[in-house]
Amino acid sequence: MNDDRLHAAFRELRRDETAHVPPFNRLWRVPVRSRPLTRLAFALVLIVIAAVSMVPILRRHRAPQTSITEWRAPTDFLLKTPGQELLSSVPDLKGSTQ
Amino acid sequence: MTDGVMQGAELEREVEQLHAASYGWALACCRRDRDDAEEVLQNVYVKILEGKARFDGRSSLKTWLFAVIRRTAAAHVRRRIVRELLLAKWGRQELEPVMPNPHRSAETSQTSATLLDALQRLARRQREVLELVFYHDLTIEEAAVALNVSIGSARVHYQRGKKQLLAQLDGKLAP
Repeated sequence: MNDDRLHAAFRELRRDETAHVPPFNRLWRVPVRSRPLTRLAFALVLIVIAAVSMVPILRRHRAPQTSITEWRAPTDFLLKTPGQELLSSVPDLKGSTQ
Repeated sequence: MTDGVMQGAELEREVEQLHAASYGWALACCRRDRDDAEEVLQNVYVKILEGKARFDGRSSLKTWLFAVIRRTAAAHVRRRIVRELLLAKWGRQELEPVMPNPHRSAETSQTSATLLDALQRLARRQREVLELVFYHDLTIEEAAVALNVSIGSARVHYQRGKKQLLAQLDGKLAP
């Protein structure tokens, strides 16, 4: 066994293996696929559409706004004490003298 | 062999001339699996077309192309191993042994089958250097560039590999 025999064996292997090489033109092309930037843009568009479609729903569920002059604090009832009407009105002294 | 930076149609023409050799090297890097070799070679071509792999003319086109094929095949094999491990873990599937199978590419002669069997018993670097030198007619210096090793290292792999290969093939090949 020498180098020539080795060369001959490798030549035979090369002949066997390259007998069915796939066509160059089938492999020399960029396959059609979605690129990362395309996918990112697509995701952003979906997010914007979802956000826009949520706006009417959020508006519908919002509580009606009241004017600040009509607003009453929920603890206002604590200020109503017994006998409050005596303090908020002036007694009629003329009627009591008759 | 053309040195210097090439682009467009000229590069395509040169790569096409090397297509059969590139496919043979891809086969060697993919354990003789034709489907894997084809996928790897297409990935390499896509890298070239998209400009991710650029030939700068520092070596011959063939050497550069073979280096790209080898790197791409290594990444491909790594991804497949990870995928198979995940499938085995999550899907409770039996993990297919990642063993070289020289007979996966059909239609090989007895001589070729014997040679492949002997090659599979060599260390990976030795096998790669021998295939580049004997199969692809590269010099040891060019093989060193394609494998990204020093010339001294490539020479050692070549000498040791050839010695072992000759010993294994002794008397096995038809005269």
